[in-house]
Amino acid sequence: MRGFLADCWWIAWRELKHFARLRPRILASVVQPLLWLTLMGNMLQRAASIPGFPAERYLDYMAPGVMVMSTLFGATTAGLGLALDLRLGYLQKLLAAPVDRLAIAAGKALAAGLQAALQGGLIFLVALALGARFAAGPAGVPLLLLLTFLPGVLFAALALSFAAWVRSHEGLMPVLNLIVLPLVFTSNVIMPASLMPAWLAALARVNPVSFAVGPLRALFLGGAEPGRAGAAAVEAVVVLAVLAAATTALAGHLLARHRD
Amino acid sequence: MSADEVIVAEGLTKVFGGRRVAVDAVSFAVRRGEIFGFLGPNGAGKSTTIALLTTLLRPSAGRARVAGHDVAAEPLAVRRQIGYVSQDVAVDDLLTGRENLHFQGRLYHLGGRELRARVEAVLEMVDLAERADDLVATYSGGMRKRLDLAAGLLHRPQVLFLDEPTLGLDVQSRQRIWGYVRRLRDEEGVTVFLTTHYMEEADTLCDRVAIIDRGEIVALGSPRALKAGLRGDRVTLALEPGADAGAARRVLERLAGVQGVEGSGDGSVRLVVADGERAVPELLRALEQAGVRVASLSLQRPTLDDVFLHHTGRQLREEPADRLARALRRARRG
Repeated sequence: MRGFLADCWWIAWRELKHFARLRPRILASVVQPLLWLTLMGNMLQRAASIPGFPAERYLDYMAPGVMVMSTLFGATTAGLGLALDLRLGYLQKLLAAPVDRLAIAAGKALAAGLQAALQGGLIFLVALALGARFAAGPAGVPLLLLLTFLPGVLFAALALSFAAWVRSHEGLMPVLNLIVLPLVFTSNVIMPASLMPAWLAALARVNPVSFAVGPLRALFLGGAEPGRAGAAAVEAVVVLAVLAAATTALAGHLLARHRD
Repeated sequence: MSADEVIVAEGLTKVFGGRRVAVDAVSFAVRRGEIFGFLGPNGAGKSTTIALLTTLLRPSAGRARVAGHDVAAEPLAVRRQIGYVSQDVAVDDLLTGRENLHFQGRLYHLGGRELRARVEAVLEMVDLAERADDLVATYSGGMRKRLDLAAGLLHRPQVLFLDEPTLGLDVQSRQRIWGYVRRLRDEEGVTVFLTTHYMEEADTLCDRVAIIDRGEIVALGSPRALKAGLRGDRVTLALEPGADAGAARRVLERLAGVQGVEGSGDGSVRLVVADGERAVPELLRALEQAGVRVASLSLQRPTLDDVFLHHTGRQLREEPADRLARALRRARRG
């Protein structure tokens, strides 16, 4: 077990080194959410005055959505990274080492989760600077980071699974493109399901992106009684953790199938 | 399996997609401390064999043991004992040379002082100590290959697998790599299994060579034994102007061990003899006694290329890929 965790960490270490060495990537990870928040936030400001809109101000509604959306883009990078490792023969080197395939998948997903939490924290600061209100207060910040870390792991593991399945850099890009933006637009990132046509609302309710946004948004908007809010947050963390673990196991399994 | 056989393959087979037979029931054994080569053209099944022995692929049939463990049943135990350097130069551009090696060491569960000392030792060995803290993105092709090789040796593997270790390198880099491989075997006792489609590489570097074609081993032995197994060395004699070629042929045909004597219009005589270096003085003496004067003589020993030709009916030298590369170079120049 200790060996397994160490393997995960060193696999993640390499990914984090890549992240730290690619300055444009760090810059983009801050600038992009800033653009989403200011452009989209301003464009849709009046949405908040629609009767039945769950937030007083659109920015408070949008900020947690942008956090989860960023984890999707981070996941894309993780998937393409694995496909690139495969293309360059680097994955073969990892697979020839005495390292569990699950540790390779888990390490890469872990790195994506940590980046997602870092990015989530930065988006949070940007949102506050733009005047967003955070109902949960300072005590909610660790939970906010955890609730961006877990979707970061979950969506990265999903992208890694696709990469391990498709086995080509060129093949993966269209698959991810096909999935990511529709996943955002059929979720409650931009609009609450209650204001959607029925068929879209049905999609939005089963969309894992909506599911990841829900508990984060509760931290911003508040509303429920403190006891109830705590229980909901714990439940969300448990479910996200189980989904993330299962998806990571799937990615590890698909990597192990490279032997056949 | 005897104690000093580090790799034993028995009927090892890999079939892709239920149809394409990449490796067809190959059997061989590699002894401890040996440099063993798989020589064959591209697509002969060399890389697939390495992938089977390094547990990257599961055999479709047959079995193989590496460092005492079955590749199908105990892949993790095999991976601990082997080093693998693939033909893609698999180094990480975004890490420094030293970071690449540290990461590699961690994958093999090295740590602390042992890891640091070992990293320095292999950096010294491949002459990269001075550039160790530069990003690999700034390295030349030869340096990247050396770093990749260093990564393969870091954890002191019992067996080192090198897939086309000098593919695409210039002559100098190639000889440097050969030097490292020899030192590794001599100083650390590592068994080396390599694949190559370069005849010279198999000939000068390997203790024993298996010649593989279309997934099957067609010949196996030391380069010397393989070449000696052919008919023999080719001798070409050019006679002085006015010398009697017919007389020369008659003299030579009577000598023991001489075969296939044939003359040609330009006054030269060709023949094949079992052991050229010993036979030549005798040939010259016999011709002198018969009064035939020889102007010059050339002795051509068989190459592994001739061995390949003998067993497959095709030449190894002219690879489609090499032909393509040459055509591209010509096109660029033109």
